[in-house]
Amino acid sequence: MLYRYIVIGFLFSMGVHAQKKQNTFREAFKASLVIVSDVSYEFKNEAFQKSEIILKPEFSYRLNRNSKFVLKSQLYTELNDNLERGFSEDDMASDFSKRLFIGDRTNLELREFFFYTNFKNKLRLTIGKQQIVWGETDGLKLLDVVNPQNFREFILDDFEDSRIPLWSIKAEFDIKNINVQFVWIPDNTYHITQDFDAPFFTKNLFQSPPEGIPVVINETEKPQHFLNDSDIGFKLNTFTKGWDLSLNYFYYYDDLPVFYNVLQITDTNNPYVTISPKFERQHLIGGTFNKVFGSSTFRGEIAYIFNQNFPSINPNATHGIESSNLFKSAIGIDYIKGEQIISVQLFNDLITDAISPYNRDLFETNMSLKISRDMMNDALNTEVLWVQNVNHGDGYVKPQISYWANTNTQLFLGSSFFYGNESNLFGQFKDRSRISFGIRWGI
Amino acid sequence: MKTRFLIGFIAIGLVFPLHSISQTLPSGQSIANKTHTRDEGVSLSRKLTMELKDKRGKIRIRETTSFRKYFGEEKRLVIFYLTPKSVMGTAFLTYDYPDASLDDDQWLYMPALRKTRRISAANRGDYFLGTDLTYEDIKLETRINRDDYTYKTIGKEQVDGHECFVIEGLPKSKEIAKELGYSKTKLWVDATLWMLRKADNWDVAGNYLKTIEIKDIKKIQGIWTYHKIYVKNHKTNHETIFRIDEVDYQTEINDDAFTKEALVNGL
Repeated sequence: MLYRYIVIGFLFSMGVHAQKKQNTFREAFKASLVIVSDVSYEFKNEAFQKSEIILKPEFSYRLNRNSKFVLKSQLYTELNDNLERGFSEDDMASDFSKRLFIGDRTNLELREFFFYTNFKNKLRLTIGKQQIVWGETDGLKLLDVVNPQNFREFILDDFEDSRIPLWSIKAEFDIKNINVQFVWIPDNTYHITQDFDAPFFTKNLFQSPPEGIPVVINETEKPQHFLNDSDIGFKLNTFTKGWDLSLNYFYYYDDLPVFYNVLQITDTNNPYVTISPKFERQHLIGGTFNKVFGSSTFRGEIAYIFNQNFPSINPNATHGIESSNLFKSAIGIDYIKGEQIISVQLFNDLITDAISPYNRDLFETNMSLKISRDMMNDALNTEVLWVQNVNHGDGYVKPQISYWANTNTQLFLGSSFFYGNESNLFGQFKDRSRISFGIRWGI
Repeated sequence: MKTRFLIGFIAIGLVFPLHSISQTLPSGQSIANKTHTRDEGVSLSRKLTMELKDKRGKIRIRETTSFRKYFGEEKRLVIFYLTPKSVMGTAFLTYDYPDASLDDDQWLYMPALRKTRRISAANRGDYFLGTDLTYEDIKLETRINRDDYTYKTIGKEQVDGHECFVIEGLPKSKEIAKELGYSKTKLWVDATLWMLRKADNWDVAGNYLKTIEIKDIKKIQGIWTYHKIYVKNHKTNHETIFRIDEVDYQTEINDDAFTKEALVNGL
């Protein structure tokens, strides 16, 4: 069904431009290949945490000045089968977005495949599998919720790799100096979280049942309807008097299911817990701003989410869940001095109702500091990122050096150190601290 | 009497040649102004290849496609990286306002983040994307800064067989010198085309910093166009060669090619 809509869209757009002059195939067709190899060694377990090779072929074909096809695929191999252990069914992905697994270690993925057209300079359409990214923040996400994410490396992986592209349509047009973007996403694909035995299983999100009580996990209730369950949203964006401003709205399914849980008694009077994961809809409204003052860029982002569900420690909570509106904000300053960039961000989350969420406060603050310096005419870059949760004192530090060995080859040496209490978001991964070495080559 | 006449004659003779030179050579400021009157076309698309060579001779190449368009007096420029393939799609957009008191507005799209980051343009003396030219050098192309220097015309010389006015510029204040990264500049401006052909620059501490040579100037679609810029940094011994190909002033470029959204949608 989805394919039919997309094919119709392609044909319509191609017909519109059929009268325009065609380029020669050589001018119109572009191909490239990027190969990334990355090895990480885990300090605590004295073992390789990651040993991956990724091949990223990319093709584009330009029909004319205004239209093009883009195809980006990926062959991913994790040699030690550690981050995503075993064969994955990709249960959280729609039938159209599942990866093709070849054994336990390798998978083939159609990352992006879309048709872009600029129709008479009035309407720009992107139809197909793509990434749609909103927001101004780095590291932690507020408005960047259009596409789900693979948490195989928690938030250490590049977002370009961890973000899951979706079959969708993006339409853009201008009303005076306001850019309007509509998105329609019928692809029911959600976050890929890891199993209990994976290194980056996010255990702090789930309340463990009392010891000795068995747990029955029901099948996740996923949205199934093509039209009724699709996500929709819009972004209005303008640049006026030096200010970049956007207003965003999104009606979507939260990419993490709500884990409804009930304590039950068997016929033989033995207690057990039933967990019934279910994806729930919510509305989000938000916006972004930025402006340059001298050498500094001041930027910010806000998001207000209606009826966000939280696991609760309130014994009276229905099925262990309470909901509240959630206000998120982030402000940041990027200061540029020569080849050095200092970036500071402050994130605040406020649960507006008096509920009792599990493992978090009603008001939480995170901060981040990034210092980056280019040297040797940008051949060498050093960078350190520090993220800290102010409430719980956990966080991580990620220093990295990258070096362009020649035109096409870039080398990376980096490390990630988690710290804090094991029950907290970052602290739970303190045994996952690692050193990494990578190479990226493209042609 | 004879002696007095002779002294008077010598004095007149000494003064007269100077007077005649100052009459024949235009002022430095007028030369700088003149470089801004040259026809650059309304829009321009071109391929720009940057060859970066370090002191050990190691070469890195970056290929880009760029588009430039005048919106009245406001100039907008967008540059898309084609290679290295691992950073393909990186794009840089700048709005250059005619009012010199207004900083440019600049955005950088990073495909690894899929985000467009607003960047400050206050530091005009910062180096442009790892090359040996500063953002200000890039912005001016082959024109001369009109507002920040006090110029003096010091003569005429040939560069690559072309007659050039030689002018020397000193920043109007220490703050400007610090901002631009230069304490002195010496410029060779083509006396016919009003294009910069060569420049020597000294750093803020007064050390000889770099030489810029503009080569292979020819008419494309009726507009004088440079095709190569060679820059040598004498302090670091790093060199950059900019090669310009596929120059096109005639194909119309849509206004919406110069927006943040265009950076995301790419080439």
